[in-house]
Amino acid sequence: MIATQAWAVIALFAGFVAVGVALWLYRWVHQQDPGSERAQEVASWIREGARTYLGRLYVVLTLMAAGMGFIIAMVFAFDIEHLGTEAVRIAPARGLAMALAFLAGALCSAIAGYMGMTIAVEANVRSATAAQESLSGAFKVAFYAGSVMGLAMVGLAIIGMSTIYLLTGDPEIILGFSFGASALALLAKAGGGIYTKTADIAADLVGKIEIGIPEDDPRNPAVVADNVGDNVGDVAGMGADVFDSYVASTVAAMLLGASIFAADPVLQLRHVLFPLMLSTLGIVASLIGIRLVRVEKGGRPGRALNSGTIFTTAIFAALATALVLLGGYSLGLLWATLAGLVTGVVIGFTSDYYTSARFRPVVETARVSGSGAAINIITGFSYGLVSIVPSIVGIVMATLLSYYLTDVYGISGIYGVGISAVGMLSISGMIVSSDAYGPIVDNARGIAEMAGMSQEVIDTTDVLDAAGNTAKAITKGFAISAAALTVLALFAAYAEVVGARGIALVISLRDPVVVAGVLLGAVTPPLFSALTMLSVTHNAFDMIEEVRRQFEERPGILAGTEPPDYAACVGLAARGALASLVWPAFLAVALPLLVGFVLGPEALGGFLGGSIFTGVIFALLMSNAGGLWDNAKKYIEAGRFGGPGSDAHKAGVVGDTVGDPFKDTAGPSLNTLITVMSLVSSLFAPVIAALHLFR
Amino acid sequence: MSRDIHLYLSLIPEALIASMLTPEEFGVYYAAGTAKKARGQAVFFEVDPDFRHDYFRIEEGIQRCVPHEDGSPKASIYISVYRVLEHVPLSELGELYLVTADGRVLGLDASETVPESTRGLHLYQEIAPVHPMVVSSLGPTAFYELIVKNPNILLRLPAICFAELRLGDLAEDPEEGNVGDLPYSRVEHLRQCLVALSTKTVDAKMVNRTAPATFSYRTIKSGIYVGNESDLLFFPFPTVEELRADHYRWFRSAWST
Repeated sequence: MIATQAWAVIALFAGFVAVGVALWLYRWVHQQDPGSERAQEVASWIREGARTYLGRLYVVLTLMAAGMGFIIAMVFAFDIEHLGTEAVRIAPARGLAMALAFLAGALCSAIAGYMGMTIAVEANVRSATAAQESLSGAFKVAFYAGSVMGLAMVGLAIIGMSTIYLLTGDPEIILGFSFGASALALLAKAGGGIYTKTADIAADLVGKIEIGIPEDDPRNPAVVADNVGDNVGDVAGMGADVFDSYVASTVAAMLLGASIFAADPVLQLRHVLFPLMLSTLGIVASLIGIRLVRVEKGGRPGRALNSGTIFTTAIFAALATALVLLGGYSLGLLWATLAGLVTGVVIGFTSDYYTSARFRPVVETARVSGSGAAINIITGFSYGLVSIVPSIVGIVMATLLSYYLTDVYGISGIYGVGISAVGMLSISGMIVSSDAYGPIVDNARGIAEMAGMSQEVIDTTDVLDAAGNTAKAITKGFAISAAALTVLALFAAYAEVVGARGIALVISLRDPVVVAGVLLGAVTPPLFSALTMLSVTHNAFDMIEEVRRQFEERPGILAGTEPPDYAACVGLAARGALASLVWPAFLAVALPLLVGFVLGPEALGGFLGGSIFTGVIFALLMSNAGGLWDNAKKYIEAGRFGGPGSDAHKAGVVGDTVGDPFKDTAGPSLNTLITVMSLVSSLFAPVIAALHLFR
Repeated sequence: MSRDIHLYLSLIPEALIASMLTPEEFGVYYAAGTAKKARGQAVFFEVDPDFRHDYFRIEEGIQRCVPHEDGSPKASIYISVYRVLEHVPLSELGELYLVTADGRVLGLDASETVPESTRGLHLYQEIAPVHPMVVSSLGPTAFYELIVKNPNILLRLPAICFAELRLGDLAEDPEEGNVGDLPYSRVEHLRQCLVALSTKTVDAKMVNRTAPATFSYRTIKSGIYVGNESDLLFFPFPTVEELRADHYRWFRSAWST
C-alpha cells in the first residue's frame, strides 16, 4: 500500500495532470474553426467585453488581496498560542506563510477563472460554427471548453493545497489558502452576478418589452453586455464559487482530522490526508467521466451531461471504496463519503424538479400567470419556499448519516460530517464542466443570431442551450448544498480551533450573547441579498437609460443602418458591478470579526449558526424561485397558455425579471458569503479566542 | 441619385402617404426608424404611383416629396388620413407589407383566388377603417359580403380590410377547447361570444370594441382580406415552415411578441 505521506505527492501529481489536460483541451478548442468573419467580429465584442471586465476585476482583487495579505501577515506574525499574555512572541515566518497561502488561494482561483473565461469566449464562436456541421460537434467544442474550467479549478486547488501541506505540514496554513480562494470567489460571484443581471434586465426591458426586438438581436445596445454577463457570472463566478467550497471542505476536514486525532500522530496524518486522497480520486473520476460524455448523431445533450455526472459519481464511489478497503480506513468514512456524494447529486436533481418545465411547479406557475403578474410571483415564490424542504432534508440526512455512521465505527462523528462535504464536492471537476458548458452554448446561440447564421444553426444551438439551462439549475442546487455541508464542517473546525486555545465553546440559546450573535448572523444573508439586488436595480436603471438614449438619438440603430454603441453598455455594467462590491465584501469579512472581537467566540459561534441557517434557506429559495420563474416564462413562450404576447406571457416576463437577480445575483452568492464568514471566523478564531471584549 | 416617389396606403393608421423610400425602407422607417417615438407595428399596401383620384390631392403631395437639405430622401408626406381605403380601387394595390414593431418587413402578394371557408367558427381582426375584433359563424368571403355588400345590415362599411385569426380548438369546441398558444386577452369572454353564435340568431358578434388595430401576426390563420363594393382581394399568409425557411428574421420578430 502507498505510504500515507506519498498521497500528498500523488495529489500534487493529479493536480498537474488535471491542469495539463485542461491546457490540452484549451489548445484543442482553440484549434477548431473560428467561423466566418462576421461571426468572429461578433465574438470579438464579447471577448473584449469579458476581458475588460476581468481586467478591472483583477485590479480590484489585487488591491484587496494585497491589503488582506498584509493584515494576515501582521496578525499571524504574533505567536497565537500566547496571544493576550505577556509571553507572546513574534513569529514573522508563520505570518508570512499564512499571507502567502492567502495570496496563493486568491491567485489559483483567479487563474482558474481566467482560463475558464478565456476559453469560454473562444469556444462560443467555435461551437456556433461547429453547429453548422452537426449538433455533436458543437456539443463537443462547448463541453470540452467547459471542462477546461472544471479541470483547471480542481487541478489548481489540489496543487495549492498539497504544495502547502508538503511545505508546511500544517492544515491551518491551508486555511489561509482557502480564505484567499473564498475572498476572490465572493467578489467574482457577486460582481459577476450584478454584472450579468444588470445587462440582462436592461436588454430585456428596453429591447424586448419596449421596442419589441427578439432575444440576442444585434440591434440591441445591451446585447453584447448580456452575453459578456453570461461568462462573468456563470463561468468565472460559478467556477470561483465551487472552487472555494471545494477547497474549504477539504481544509475543514483536514483541520478536523488534525484536531480530533491529535493524540496519535500516525492516525492524525492518515486522517489529515484522507480528504486530500478523496479529492485526488475525484479528479481521476472526473477525468474519466468527462471522457465518457458525448452526443451521438441525433442524441440529447442534456442526457449526455446527466449521464456524465452519474458515471463520474459511480466511478468515484468505486474508487473511494477501494481506497477505504485497501487503505485500511474505517468503513464509517466510506459511508460518510457516499452519503455526501449521493446527497449532492440527489439535491442537484431535486433542484431540477422545481425549475424544469417537465414538472408541476413550473407548469402550475405558468398556468396561473393568465391571472396576472402578482399571482405568478406569489405562486413562484411559494414553490421556491417549498423547494427548500427537500434540500434541507437532504442536508440533514447527509449530516446525521455521516455523523452517526462514522461514530458507530469509533471515529468522531464531526469528522464524518467534514468527510461527507468532501465526498459531495469530490466530483466538482465534472459538475463545473457541465455548468460552464451552459454559458458557452448560450453565447453560441447569441453569436449565431447576431452573425446571421441560418435557422438550422440557431435551432441546433437552441437544443444545446436548453441542456445548458438544466445543467445550470443542477449545479446551483449542488453548490448550495455543498456549501451548506462545508460550512457545517467549518463550524466544527472553528469550535475545534477555539477549543485548542483552551476555550470550551458552549453555544447555548440561554446565553444572551449567543442569542445576539445568532440574530446578527441571521440578518446578514438577507442584508447581503438586498445590497446585491439593489445594486442590480441601480445599475440596470442607468443602463436602461443608456439603451433608451441610443435608440432615441440614433434611429439608424433600429433601422439597421448604424451599429449600436455596445462598449457604452459593457463599460456601465463593469463599472457598476465593481463599485457595488464594497459593502457586500465588508459585510462578509468585517462583520464576523466585529462580532468576534466585541462579543466573543460564543457569540461568533452563534453568529455563524444564524448566518448558515438563513444563508442556506435564502440561497435555495432565491435560486430555485428564480429558475422557476425563468422557465415558467419559457414554457409560455413555447406556445402554452397563450404563448408570446399573451397576458400570461406578460405576467411571466415580470416574474422572470423579478427572479433574475434572485437566481443569478443574490442566491448563488450566498454560498460564498457563508463560506467566507466561516473561513474568516476559523482563521481568526485563535486571535478572537485570545482577544475579545466580552468575557 | 434621383429616387422614385412611392405611394403607400397605410392601414395603421389609415392614410395615403407619398414617400421616396422603397417599401422595405419605408416599413423600417414607419415602424421603427423615427426619433419621435412614433413607432410600432405597421401594415400598408404599395399603391400604383400613377394612381390619381379626385378625392386625394396626390399631385400636391408628390410635389412636396423632395429630398431633405442634406440630400437624404423624404420619408413621408401624408396626403390623406381619412376615408382612404374606400377611395382606392383594389386594382391599384400592389404588395401588402406586414411590418413588426422592430421594423422587420414581410411582403405578401395577392392570390388569384379566395380560399374556401373552413369548418367551425371564425375570428376576425378588422384592421381598417375600424378595428374591432369580431367572431362570426361566417367564412371570410361571407363575412366580407355581410359587412360591405349587404344593403340591409345596420353596420355597413364601404370597404374593409381584415385578418382571419386562428381560433384553434375553440373553432370547433368553444366551451371546452384548449386555448393553446392563442394570446388573446379575456379568453373566457371570447368563449362566451363564440357560444353566443350558436345560441343566438346572429352571424357575427363583437368581442372587443376597443381593440387596437395592431395584432400578433402569429395569430393570422389564412391571411388578410381587403374588399370594397366591387372586389375582394386575398393575401395568403405563408405557413410557419415557409416563414422559418424564407423569412427567418421576420419570423423571429413576429413570433417573439
